[in-house]
Amino acid sequence: MFSEFISYGFVQRGLLAGSFVAVVCALLGVFLVLKRLSLIGDGLSHVCLTGVALGLWTQTSPLYMSVPVVLLSSYGILKIMDKIKIYGDAAIGIVSAAGLSLGIMLTAFAGGFNADLFGFLFGSILTVGKTEVFACAALLVGLLLFLLGFYRDLIAASFDEPFAHTRGIRVKNLNTILILFTSVAVVLAFKVVGIFLISALLILPPVTALQVAKTFKQVLIWAAVFALMSVWSGVYLSFVFNIPSGATIILLNLLFLLLAFVGNKMGTWLKKEEENAD
Amino acid sequence: MSNIVEIKNLSFRYSHAWVLENISAKVAAGDYVGVIGPNGGGKTTLLKLILGLEKGKGEVKLFDTEISRFSAWEKVGYLAQKSPIAQARFPISVEEVVLMGLCYDGKHKEATSANLQRVYQALSQTHTLDLAKRIFGHLSVGQQQRVLLARALVSRPQLLILDEPSDALDDASRELFFGLLVELNKKHGVTILLITHDTAEVGKYISKFMYIDRELVFFGDKEAFCRSSKVTEKLGRFAQHTIDHLHNQGHCPLGCDCEHSHPAHHQAQHGAEAQHV
Repeated sequence: MFSEFISYGFVQRGLLAGSFVAVVCALLGVFLVLKRLSLIGDGLSHVCLTGVALGLWTQTSPLYMSVPVVLLSSYGILKIMDKIKIYGDAAIGIVSAAGLSLGIMLTAFAGGFNADLFGFLFGSILTVGKTEVFACAALLVGLLLFLLGFYRDLIAASFDEPFAHTRGIRVKNLNTILILFTSVAVVLAFKVVGIFLISALLILPPVTALQVAKTFKQVLIWAAVFALMSVWSGVYLSFVFNIPSGATIILLNLLFLLLAFVGNKMGTWLKKEEENAD
Repeated sequence: MSNIVEIKNLSFRYSHAWVLENISAKVAAGDYVGVIGPNGGGKTTLLKLILGLEKGKGEVKLFDTEISRFSAWEKVGYLAQKSPIAQARFPISVEEVVLMGLCYDGKHKEATSANLQRVYQALSQTHTLDLAKRIFGHLSVGQQQRVLLARALVSRPQLLILDEPSDALDDASRELFFGLLVELNKKHGVTILLITHDTAEVGKYISKFMYIDRELVFFGDKEAFCRSSKVTEKLGRFAQHTIDHLHNQGHCPLGCDCEHSHPAHHQAQHGAEAQHV
């Protein structure tokens, strides 16, 4: 069964793109979760609807139309946070609401909801093309280079932004690059899990990794591992049982989180029992 | 004496209102300045402007360099009012937190034995050496604050900027904390800018008061602070409260050696000169 599953070209492309984008989201998500900016994925994914609707309306690629729209929106979030001095969640909420309402309006102009749009809303990993696979691979390579170059700066800025500034770390630039990476990741991820579930891919693997890891490096590694496991097993299960792949991937991530949480609690309980016995 | 901090005509506003207006002051090397004032008076904003964390109108210089071009961050130790994100799950050890303090000009230091030695020295100074391997987020707020002070000290800074650092500390830790600041100031000549509401405690040690209430109400020696008619006129009960605190601690700001240096007694000792309330 598995050899048959893996032999299909569309499955291979889906798994490759899904793996690349899931690892990208997991790694970015670690920093976003720790900086309490994880809802940015939710906000930007809503903005994707505007890009998709624009693409469907103008009969151009929704994917490519979404990239500038989401990049502009993420820039908007940063500017609102910086200039109007409001909290990140409120800035995300404003841009998210604007993106969603504009998207719905454009969808109406484009002739209402159709099969294409449903594919983007709920994900269609098995329709991923070669170009998208290369784009996801390029994004992963770019992100890995960024993380290698600025690893300790990113930890310092995630832990204590004002202090990082007083160490000469260019916190604003780091935040901007991080959010730009997130924007592109969100756009590339909407084919994998769908617009509605992108933020889960940014949040769940890092949160699960934080339950089991002891060091920052371990968090990054575990987040990537959980993300990969969810994509591979999610796509396989959706193939076998003919169920939606995006939702399966996210449900598996939730299951991993539950297991990690229970395991963590049991570990703490056993440790306490051992201490009491001593 | 050279200026460590120089502020000229500094103003700052959020969208709705001015938070600080036209502040000018010079902090000299070796000064121990207590920054005081009412809540919302702009004290924290002033420190943020000094550190370049906020941008205002006017001029800020650190060690004679304009703040936007300042890069010698090893000379500056900073401890903020609020503990950083510090969620229990942030996977970072106390040792790693303090090592961050050795990052200057965006260049991080590796955990070599020499650098770790400095980390352990700083942790010893704040009596937190036994916490070195613990996860930072697992510590109590008071312990976290002492670790963050170690991080501020690890680069052996010439200027310490502290924003209400003693709020989360218990009495023993507070005494230790202020004792350490005195030692750094007196023995090592470290310049200190300290925001505090604990006037009774810092009144014993500081050399200058900076009173901020949107504008610079007073900046000068603590002796002059008690005599300042501007302080009493402007601040009424708060000035009385502050000065009472100084007196009740038995540390007469006017140099009186008496143990019962309450303002009333004080006035009798010093006559008209002491008409500060």
